[in-house]
Amino acid sequence: MMNNRQEVTEAIVLARTEYGEADRILTLLTPENGKLRLIAKGVRRVKSKLAGGIELFSVTNVTYIKGRGDIGTLISARLVTYYSKIVGDIDRTMLGYDLIKQLHKVTEDEPEADYYHLLVQAFAALDDATIDIELIRMWFGAQLLRLSGHTPNLRTEPGGAKLTAEQAYEFSFDDSAFVARPDGGAYRADAIKFLRIVFDGNQPAVLAHVGGAARLVEQTRQLVAFMGQQYLR
Amino acid sequence: MRILLIEPDRLLAGAYASALEQQGHTVVHAVSAQGAVHQADQQTPDVVVLELQMPRHNGVEFLYEFRSYTEWLGVPVLVHSFVPPSELTRAVKLRAELGVVQILHKPATSLRQLCEAVAHVAVAA
Repeated sequence: MMNNRQEVTEAIVLARTEYGEADRILTLLTPENGKLRLIAKGVRRVKSKLAGGIELFSVTNVTYIKGRGDIGTLISARLVTYYSKIVGDIDRTMLGYDLIKQLHKVTEDEPEADYYHLLVQAFAALDDATIDIELIRMWFGAQLLRLSGHTPNLRTEPGGAKLTAEQAYEFSFDDSAFVARPDGGAYRADAIKFLRIVFDGNQPAVLAHVGGAARLVEQTRQLVAFMGQQYLR
Repeated sequence: MRILLIEPDRLLAGAYASALEQQGHTVVHAVSAQGAVHQADQQTPDVVVLELQMPRHNGVEFLYEFRSYTEWLGVPVLVHSFVPPSELTRAVKLRAELGVVQILHKPATSLRQLCEAVAHVAVAA
Protein backbone atom coordinates (compact mmCIF):
# COMPACT_ATOMS: atom_id res chain seq x y z
CA MET A 1 0.00 0.00 0.00
CA MET A 2 1.42 3.40 -0.98
CA ASN A 3 -0.85 5.55 1.14
CA ASN A 4 -4.30 5.34 2.67
CA ARG A 5 -6.14 5.00 -0.60
CA GLN A 6 -3.67 4.16 -3.36
CA GLU A 7 -3.08 0.48 -3.96
CA VAL A 8 -0.92 -1.62 -6.26
CA THR A 9 -1.71 -5.12 -7.47
CA GLU A 10 -1.01 -7.56 -10.27
CA ALA A 11 -4.04 -8.04 -12.48
CA ILE A 12 -5.47 -9.58 -15.63
CA VAL A 13 -8.24 -7.95 -17.68
CA LEU A 14 -11.47 -9.96 -17.62
CA ALA A 15 -13.81 -7.50 -19.28
CA ARG A 16 -14.21 -3.90 -20.24
CA THR A 17 -17.31 -1.85 -20.86
CA GLU A 18 -17.98 1.74 -21.78
CA TYR A 19 -18.74 4.30 -19.11
CA GLY A 20 -19.95 7.64 -20.31
CA GLU A 21 -18.46 9.15 -23.44
CA ALA A 22 -14.80 8.82 -22.71
CA ASP A 23 -14.27 6.37 -19.87
CA ARG A 24 -14.04 2.60 -19.66
CA ILE A 25 -14.73 0.28 -16.77
CA LEU A 26 -12.21 -2.53 -16.55
CA THR A 27 -13.02 -5.68 -14.62
CA LEU A 28 -9.72 -7.13 -13.47
CA LEU A 29 -8.83 -10.40 -11.79
CA THR A 30 -6.23 -10.09 -9.06
CA PRO A 31 -4.47 -12.77 -7.01
CA GLU A 32 -5.35 -11.34 -3.61
CA ASN A 33 -8.39 -9.13 -4.01
CA GLY A 34 -10.56 -11.14 -6.37
CA LYS A 35 -12.27 -9.10 -9.04
CA LEU A 36 -11.59 -5.40 -9.17
CA ARG A 37 -13.63 -2.85 -11.09
CA LEU A 38 -11.75 0.27 -12.10
CA ILE A 39 -12.63 3.30 -14.16
CA ALA A 40 -10.01 4.04 -16.78
CA LYS A 41 -10.63 7.71 -17.44
CA GLY A 42 -10.47 9.24 -20.88
CA VAL A 43 -9.04 6.17 -22.56
CA ARG A 44 -11.44 6.20 -25.44
CA ARG A 45 -10.58 9.62 -26.78
CA VAL A 46 -6.83 9.25 -26.66
CA LYS A 47 -4.53 6.86 -28.46
CA SER A 48 -4.35 4.39 -25.66
CA LYS A 49 -4.13 0.65 -26.04
CA LEU A 50 -7.25 -1.28 -26.92
CA ALA A 51 -8.23 -2.43 -23.47
CA GLY A 52 -7.96 0.99 -21.95
CA GLY A 53 -4.29 1.14 -21.11
CA ILE A 54 -3.89 -2.53 -20.33
CA GLU A 55 -3.12 -5.28 -22.81
CA LEU A 56 -5.35 -8.31 -22.87
CA PHE A 57 -3.59 -11.66 -22.40
CA SER A 58 -1.12 -10.05 -20.06
CA VAL A 59 -0.22 -9.71 -16.41
CA THR A 60 -0.06 -6.05 -15.45
CA ASN A 61 0.83 -4.12 -12.34
CA VAL A 62 -1.96 -1.63 -11.76
CA THR A 63 -2.01 1.31 -9.39
CA TYR A 64 -5.46 2.45 -8.43
CA ILE A 65 -7.43 4.44 -5.93
CA LYS A 66 -10.11 2.62 -4.02
CA GLY A 67 -13.48 4.18 -4.48
CA ARG A 68 -16.12 4.61 -1.82
CA GLY A 69 -18.33 2.20 -3.69
CA ASP A 70 -17.46 -0.85 -5.73
CA ILE A 71 -15.54 0.97 -8.44
CA GLY A 72 -12.03 2.37 -8.05
CA THR A 73 -10.00 4.57 -10.37
CA LEU A 74 -7.08 3.35 -12.44
CA ILE A 75 -4.01 5.54 -11.97
CA SER A 76 -1.40 3.70 -13.97
CA ALA A 77 -0.59 0.34 -15.50
CA ARG A 78 2.79 -1.32 -16.03
CA LEU A 79 3.07 -4.43 -18.15
CA VAL A 80 4.70 -7.36 -16.35
CA THR A 81 4.22 -10.20 -18.84
CA TYR A 82 2.60 -10.01 -22.25
CA TYR A 83 1.76 -13.33 -23.89
CA SER A 84 2.21 -11.84 -27.33
CA LYS A 85 2.16 -15.05 -29.35
CA ILE A 86 -1.51 -15.64 -28.50
CA VAL A 87 -2.63 -12.84 -30.78
CA GLY A 88 -0.43 -14.14 -33.58
CA ASP A 89 -2.99 -16.90 -34.09
CA ILE A 90 -6.68 -16.21 -34.65
CA ASP A 91 -7.91 -19.46 -33.07
CA ARG A 92 -5.71 -19.02 -30.00
CA THR A 93 -6.96 -15.46 -29.63
CA MET A 94 -10.57 -16.62 -29.77
CA LEU A 95 -9.91 -19.41 -27.29
CA GLY A 96 -8.19 -16.90 -25.00
CA TYR A 97 -11.34 -14.77 -25.01
CA ASP A 98 -13.44 -17.89 -24.39
CA LEU A 99 -11.38 -18.94 -21.37
CA ILE A 100 -11.51 -15.46 -19.85
CA LYS A 101 -15.26 -15.38 -20.37
CA GLN A 102 -15.75 -18.83 -18.84
CA LEU A 103 -13.73 -17.95 -15.77
CA HIS A 104 -15.52 -14.62 -15.37
CA LYS A 105 -18.86 -16.39 -15.60
CA VAL A 106 -18.24 -19.17 -13.09
CA THR A 107 -16.54 -17.11 -10.41
CA GLU A 108 -17.97 -14.81 -7.77
CA ASP A 109 -16.62 -11.35 -7.03
CA GLU A 110 -13.95 -12.73 -4.73
CA PRO A 111 -12.59 -15.87 -6.33
CA GLU A 112 -9.61 -17.59 -4.74
CA ALA A 113 -6.09 -16.86 -5.95
CA ASP A 114 -6.07 -20.27 -7.66
CA TYR A 115 -8.36 -18.88 -10.38
CA TYR A 116 -5.90 -16.08 -11.06
CA HIS A 117 -3.03 -18.54 -11.34
CA LEU A 118 -5.15 -20.78 -13.59
CA LEU A 119 -5.62 -17.92 -16.03
CA VAL A 120 -1.90 -17.12 -16.00
CA GLN A 121 -1.15 -20.78 -16.75
CA ALA A 122 -3.73 -20.78 -19.53
CA PHE A 123 -2.12 -17.71 -21.13
CA ALA A 124 1.30 -19.37 -20.92
CA ALA A 125 -0.08 -22.50 -22.59
CA LEU A 126 -1.81 -20.51 -25.34
CA ASP A 127 1.43 -18.64 -25.88
CA ASP A 128 3.21 -21.92 -26.62
CA ALA A 129 2.40 -22.84 -30.22
CA THR A 130 3.48 -26.45 -29.65
CA ILE A 131 0.54 -27.12 -27.30
CA ASP A 132 -2.66 -28.14 -29.04
CA ILE A 133 -5.51 -25.74 -28.37
CA GLU A 134 -8.07 -28.53 -27.85
CA LEU A 135 -5.86 -29.86 -25.06
CA ILE A 136 -5.76 -26.38 -23.51
CA ARG A 137 -9.52 -26.00 -23.79
CA MET A 138 -10.14 -29.39 -22.19
CA TRP A 139 -7.53 -28.84 -19.47
CA PHE A 140 -8.98 -25.43 -18.60
CA GLY A 141 -12.52 -26.82 -18.33
CA ALA A 142 -11.26 -29.56 -16.04
CA GLN A 143 -9.43 -27.07 -13.81
CA LEU A 144 -12.56 -24.92 -13.49
CA LEU A 145 -14.44 -28.03 -12.39
CA ARG A 146 -11.68 -28.95 -9.93
CA LEU A 147 -11.48 -25.47 -8.39
CA SER A 148 -15.27 -25.35 -8.10
CA GLY A 149 -15.28 -28.63 -6.17
CA HIS A 150 -16.62 -30.74 -9.01
CA THR A 151 -13.78 -33.17 -9.58
CA PRO A 152 -15.43 -36.39 -10.71
CA ASN A 153 -14.71 -39.69 -9.03
CA LEU A 154 -12.09 -41.20 -11.31
CA ARG A 155 -11.09 -44.14 -9.12
CA THR A 156 -14.17 -46.07 -8.06
CA GLU A 157 -17.67 -46.82 -9.21
CA PRO A 158 -20.53 -45.25 -7.21
CA GLY A 159 -20.80 -48.45 -5.14
CA GLY A 160 -17.12 -48.29 -4.20
CA ALA A 161 -15.75 -50.95 -6.56
CA LYS A 162 -12.38 -49.94 -8.02
CA LEU A 163 -12.25 -49.15 -11.72
CA THR A 164 -10.37 -51.87 -13.60
CA ALA A 165 -8.25 -51.82 -16.72
CA GLU A 166 -10.25 -54.61 -18.37
CA GLN A 167 -13.64 -52.92 -18.16
CA ALA A 168 -15.09 -50.15 -20.35
CA TYR A 169 -17.23 -47.55 -18.60
CA GLU A 170 -19.85 -44.89 -19.13
CA PHE A 171 -19.98 -41.69 -17.12
CA SER A 172 -22.92 -41.15 -14.79
CA PHE A 173 -23.61 -37.43 -14.34
CA ASP A 174 -25.91 -38.18 -11.40
CA ASP A 175 -23.09 -39.92 -9.54
CA SER A 176 -20.23 -37.91 -11.06
CA ALA A 177 -18.46 -41.24 -11.51
CA PHE A 178 -17.82 -43.94 -14.07
CA VAL A 179 -20.08 -46.98 -14.06
CA ALA A 180 -19.54 -50.33 -15.74
CA ARG A 181 -22.13 -51.33 -18.31
CA PRO A 182 -22.77 -54.94 -19.29
CA ASP A 183 -22.75 -53.90 -22.95
CA GLY A 184 -19.49 -51.95 -22.60
CA GLY A 185 -18.88 -48.21 -22.53
CA ALA A 186 -17.09 -45.40 -24.29
CA TYR A 187 -14.29 -44.92 -21.76
CA ARG A 188 -11.47 -47.36 -21.22
CA ALA A 189 -8.62 -47.32 -18.72
CA ASP A 190 -6.29 -45.11 -20.74
CA ALA A 191 -8.90 -42.36 -21.12
CA ILE A 192 -9.82 -42.46 -17.43
CA LYS A 193 -6.17 -42.45 -16.43
CA PHE A 194 -5.62 -39.42 -18.66
CA LEU A 195 -8.53 -37.67 -16.95
CA ARG A 196 -6.90 -38.38 -13.58
CA ILE A 197 -3.70 -36.70 -14.76
CA VAL A 198 -5.69 -33.74 -16.07
CA PHE A 199 -7.79 -33.31 -12.92
CA ASP A 200 -4.68 -33.65 -10.74
CA GLY A 201 -3.81 -30.17 -11.97
CA ASN A 202 -0.88 -30.98 -14.23
CA GLN A 203 0.06 -28.24 -16.68
CA PRO A 204 -0.83 -28.46 -20.39
CA ALA A 205 2.87 -28.67 -21.27
CA VAL A 206 3.08 -31.85 -19.15
CA LEU A 207 -0.14 -33.30 -20.59
CA ALA A 208 1.14 -32.70 -24.10
CA HIS A 209 3.91 -35.22 -23.42
CA VAL A 210 1.55 -38.02 -22.38
CA GLY A 211 1.67 -40.78 -25.00
CA GLY A 212 -1.32 -40.54 -27.33
CA ALA A 213 -2.35 -37.17 -25.85
CA ALA A 214 -4.14 -35.99 -29.00
CA ARG A 215 -6.23 -39.17 -29.16
CA LEU A 216 -7.01 -39.06 -25.44
CA VAL A 217 -8.06 -35.41 -25.66
CA GLU A 218 -10.34 -36.31 -28.54
CA GLN A 219 -11.87 -39.12 -26.47
CA THR A 220 -12.45 -37.08 -23.32
CA ARG A 221 -12.94 -33.44 -24.29
CA GLN A 222 -16.67 -33.72 -24.88
CA LEU A 223 -17.16 -35.38 -21.51
CA VAL A 224 -15.33 -32.55 -19.76
CA ALA A 225 -17.36 -29.99 -21.73
CA PHE A 226 -20.61 -31.73 -20.69
CA MET A 227 -19.43 -31.80 -17.06
CA GLY A 228 -18.89 -28.06 -17.28
CA GLN A 229 -22.39 -27.53 -18.64
CA GLN A 230 -23.83 -29.79 -15.98
CA TYR A 231 -21.97 -28.72 -12.87
CA LEU A 232 -20.85 -25.12 -13.42
CA ARG A 233 -23.22 -22.19 -13.57
CA MET B 1 -22.26 4.23 -47.36
CA ARG B 2 -19.32 4.94 -45.13
CA ILE B 3 -16.99 1.94 -45.18
CA LEU B 4 -14.30 1.45 -42.56
CA LEU B 5 -11.62 -0.58 -44.34
CA ILE B 6 -9.19 -2.21 -41.90
CA GLU B 7 -6.28 -3.40 -44.00
CA PRO B 8 -2.63 -3.41 -42.92
CA ASP B 9 -1.32 -3.60 -46.49
CA ARG B 10 -1.47 -0.08 -47.93
CA LEU B 11 -1.19 -1.21 -51.57
CA LEU B 12 -4.11 -3.61 -51.23
CA ALA B 13 -6.04 -1.01 -49.26
CA GLY B 14 -5.60 1.45 -52.12
CA ALA B 15 -7.02 -1.03 -54.61
CA TYR B 16 -9.99 -1.97 -52.41
CA ALA B 17 -10.74 1.65 -51.54
CA SER B 18 -10.63 2.68 -55.18
CA ALA B 19 -13.03 -0.10 -56.20
CA LEU B 20 -15.44 0.67 -53.37
CA GLU B 21 -15.34 4.40 -54.04
CA GLN B 22 -16.24 3.75 -57.67
CA GLN B 23 -19.39 2.16 -56.32
CA GLY B 24 -20.22 5.42 -54.57
CA HIS B 25 -19.04 4.53 -51.08
CA THR B 26 -16.93 6.69 -48.83
CA VAL B 27 -13.94 4.69 -47.61
CA VAL B 28 -12.01 5.42 -44.46
CA HIS B 29 -8.85 3.34 -44.12
CA ALA B 30 -7.14 2.10 -40.97
CA VAL B 31 -3.98 0.00 -40.91
CA SER B 32 -4.34 -1.22 -37.32
CA ALA B 33 -6.96 -2.23 -34.78
CA GLN B 34 -6.27 0.82 -32.66
CA GLY B 35 -6.43 3.08 -35.69
CA ALA B 36 -9.75 1.51 -36.63
CA VAL B 37 -11.23 2.19 -33.18
CA HIS B 38 -10.02 5.77 -33.52
CA GLN B 39 -11.60 6.11 -36.98
CA ALA B 40 -14.89 4.62 -35.82
CA ASP B 41 -14.83 7.05 -32.96
CA GLN B 42 -14.63 9.98 -35.39
CA GLN B 43 -17.71 8.80 -37.25
CA THR B 44 -19.56 5.52 -36.93
CA PRO B 45 -19.18 3.48 -40.13
CA ASP B 46 -22.10 1.82 -41.92
CA VAL B 47 -20.03 -1.27 -42.77
CA VAL B 48 -16.64 -2.55 -41.62
CA VAL B 49 -14.37 -4.57 -43.94
CA LEU B 50 -11.79 -6.34 -41.80
CA GLU B 51 -8.55 -8.25 -42.33
CA LEU B 52 -8.05 -10.60 -39.37
CA GLN B 53 -4.28 -10.84 -39.67
CA MET B 54 -2.69 -7.64 -38.51
CA PRO B 55 0.49 -6.84 -36.66
CA ARG B 56 0.21 -6.28 -32.91
CA HIS B 57 -3.57 -6.46 -32.36
CA ASN B 58 -5.36 -8.87 -34.67
CA GLY B 59 -8.82 -8.60 -36.16
CA VAL B 60 -10.45 -10.71 -33.46
CA GLU B 61 -9.14 -8.33 -30.82
CA PHE B 62 -10.57 -5.46 -32.82
CA LEU B 63 -13.94 -7.22 -33.01
CA TYR B 64 -14.16 -7.79 -29.27
CA GLU B 65 -13.21 -4.18 -28.62
CA PHE B 66 -15.58 -2.85 -31.28
CA ARG B 67 -18.51 -4.87 -29.95
CA SER B 68 -17.90 -3.72 -26.40
CA TYR B 69 -19.36 -0.31 -27.35
CA THR B 70 -23.15 -0.33 -27.52
CA GLU B 71 -23.28 2.21 -30.35
CA TRP B 72 -21.28 -0.11 -32.62
CA LEU B 73 -23.12 -3.33 -31.81
CA GLY B 74 -25.28 -3.12 -34.92
CA VAL B 75 -22.57 -2.23 -37.43
CA PRO B 76 -22.15 -5.15 -39.86
CA VAL B 77 -18.64 -6.51 -40.24
CA LEU B 78 -17.45 -8.28 -43.35
CA VAL B 79 -14.26 -10.28 -42.85
CA HIS B 80 -12.02 -10.15 -45.91
CA SER B 81 -8.92 -12.03 -44.91
CA PHE B 82 -5.89 -14.05 -45.95
CA VAL B 83 -6.82 -16.57 -43.25
CA PRO B 84 -8.14 -19.60 -45.17
CA PRO B 85 -11.66 -20.70 -44.17
CA SER B 86 -10.24 -24.16 -43.38
CA GLU B 87 -8.04 -22.60 -40.69
CA LEU B 88 -10.81 -20.47 -39.31
CA THR B 89 -12.24 -23.18 -37.11
CA ARG B 90 -14.22 -20.73 -35.05
CA ALA B 91 -16.01 -19.03 -37.92
CA VAL B 92 -19.38 -19.89 -36.41
CA LYS B 93 -18.47 -17.97 -33.30
CA LEU B 94 -17.29 -15.02 -35.35
CA ARG B 95 -20.67 -14.89 -36.98
CA ALA B 96 -22.81 -15.59 -33.94
CA GLU B 97 -21.10 -13.61 -31.22
CA LEU B 98 -19.17 -10.93 -33.01
CA GLY B 99 -21.63 -9.96 -35.71
CA VAL B 100 -19.58 -11.01 -38.73
CA VAL B 101 -22.06 -11.18 -41.59
CA GLN B 102 -19.79 -12.72 -44.19
CA ILE B 103 -16.30 -14.20 -44.43
CA LEU B 104 -14.39 -13.79 -47.69
CA HIS B 105 -11.08 -15.49 -48.42
CA LYS B 106 -8.98 -12.70 -49.88
CA PRO B 107 -7.01 -14.72 -52.47
CA ALA B 108 -10.24 -16.22 -53.81
CA THR B 109 -12.24 -12.99 -53.91
CA SER B 110 -12.16 -10.56 -56.81
CA LEU B 111 -12.64 -6.82 -56.42
CA ARG B 112 -16.04 -7.20 -58.03
CA GLN B 113 -17.03 -9.88 -55.52
CA LEU B 114 -15.85 -7.71 -52.66
CA CYS B 115 -17.91 -4.77 -53.95
CA GLU B 116 -20.96 -7.02 -54.39
CA ALA B 117 -20.58 -8.37 -50.87
CA VAL B 118 -20.31 -4.88 -49.42
CA ALA B 119 -23.34 -3.75 -51.43
CA HIS B 120 -25.30 -6.76 -50.20
CA VAL B 121 -24.34 -6.12 -46.59
CA ALA B 122 -25.10 -2.42 -46.94
CA VAL B 123 -28.59 -3.15 -48.31
CA ALA B 124 -29.29 -5.66 -45.54
CA ALA B 125 -28.13 -3.15 -42.92
